[in-house]
Amino acid sequence: MRKIRRAMRIHRIFIAQELKRMMEYKGDFIVGVIGFLLVQCSNLLFLWLIFANIPSLMGWSLDQIVFIYGFSLIPKGIDHLFFDNLWNIGYFIVRKGDFDKYLTRPVNTLFHVLVEKIQIDALGELIVGIALVCVTLPRLGVEWSVLKVLLAVLVIPFATLIYTGIKTVTASVAFWTKRSGSVIYMFYMVNDFAKYPAAIYNEVVKNIITYIVPFALTAYYPALYILTGENPLFNIGMTVLAAAVLMTLGVIVWHRGIRAYESAGS
Amino acid sequence: MKRKLKLYLPFINAGMQETATYRVNFIFFLLGEALACAVSFFIWNAVYNSGGENEINGFSFEQMVVYIVLMFLTNGIIGSDASWSVGEEVRDGTIAMRLLKPVSYNSTFLFQEFGNKVLTEIVLMVPLLVIAELVRWLISGAVAFSVVRFLIYLLSCTAAYLINFFFNICFGFLAFVIKYLWGANMMKNCVVGFLSGAIIPLAFLPAGLRTVILLLPFASLNYTPVMIYMGMYSGIETLWYLGLQLFWMIAFWGLSKLLWRLSVKRLCVQGG
Repeated sequence: MRKIRRAMRIHRIFIAQELKRMMEYKGDFIVGVIGFLLVQCSNLLFLWLIFANIPSLMGWSLDQIVFIYGFSLIPKGIDHLFFDNLWNIGYFIVRKGDFDKYLTRPVNTLFHVLVEKIQIDALGELIVGIALVCVTLPRLGVEWSVLKVLLAVLVIPFATLIYTGIKTVTASVAFWTKRSGSVIYMFYMVNDFAKYPAAIYNEVVKNIITYIVPFALTAYYPALYILTGENPLFNIGMTVLAAAVLMTLGVIVWHRGIRAYESAGS
Repeated sequence: MKRKLKLYLPFINAGMQETATYRVNFIFFLLGEALACAVSFFIWNAVYNSGGENEINGFSFEQMVVYIVLMFLTNGIIGSDASWSVGEEVRDGTIAMRLLKPVSYNSTFLFQEFGNKVLTEIVLMVPLLVIAELVRWLISGAVAFSVVRFLIYLLSCTAAYLINFFFNICFGFLAFVIKYLWGANMMKNCVVGFLSGAIIPLAFLPAGLRTVILLLPFASLNYTPVMIYMGMYSGIETLWYLGLQLFWMIAFWGLSKLLWRLSVKRLCVQGG
């Protein structure tokens, strides 16, 4: 208990520090958020232009697709907001020898790296995601129950941890290779598949994004449960399970990596 | 001419070595990009399966697949990181070192980038073109490859790359105003991506809007070479769009020179 309270206090201090830094560069903040907003807008424009030509995409209406798309942005945005620093491990921190700093501090290294920075650009994704869900949800005629509301909210942190877990495992590769930014990038790009109904892919792709790099569990399956109310054990349960497995794997690979880590001299 | 070539050869060499050093990273990066291609393949597959029509806005499914593959290739050929390099140099002051040397500022970047990509793009081009042609052959049953069109495609790509390069140099000078180049770059890439047809063929846009967008410099980047390769343009149209590319190339070249002159006057390197 005392440990958790200490961790939370450290986290608060880091965030306060970050906010101070951000106030110094207000222009950057606006540029970053608008940048991510634009990216989402161009993807939506793409969907809208496609639907000008077809009534439904393999039985999915525009509203349903936009709902899944919006839902996918929420865990993605939360991970991006809080745990963006893992990209820096892959691109710079290890290569430049700056990782030594973390090893000398009296906190867990992974925890320290995760909470050290927040990336406010992510608000561009989060705002769009929440807005899309709010706009489409009333139009979809979803039947609500207490259980469904509870599961829908509960699944979001687990979906977020799927992102964080995958990033932790791939970022750790840098401990062996000095640079793993592109490895993170490659795996992270798989989340592009998750924005659309998994039903449009063939079996191979579907299995990969469900069981191997399970980004479909961050959006499509939970959204499917919200829309249809079917099969919560798989649609929600698998997300929770995948999050637990990936985070555990992330922690193990991270600590093995640190044992193999040799500081890069400069 | 010979003296010039000798002067810039080391930059090409440096560019090639840079790529060689980070080749593993490059391959992973490429795989990530290829995944995005795969996503759009499946989406278009679903679109053509649910539309009931064989052709949407002049594109059959087969042509759409060729379009995706060619966009991937063309993006690689004409892509430029110049805005990034210039911005970083302005920010950390290394731009001062370049000012000391008796070489053209723009040209050093140009040759370095040429060295960066010449090998990788040639290696990439062969399999990607084979895939595109295989798709065309499998579905339509006829070999559609034309050497003339391929050569015009290469010419058009060269023009497109130069437009993109000079445009990016101009954009890089924004670093004098905006400090957060990463965000600004993302904004630029997103807008350029859409307006250049990398996300959806411009033929899908409403007619009025399309006419305007086709005249903008961004359509001259990816869209023109890809449409030429696919044989979507008639002879007259091809000439018209090549002329437009030439116009934008000269325009951005001039603008980059102008901005360079203005910026150097304003340049004030901190520390160093």
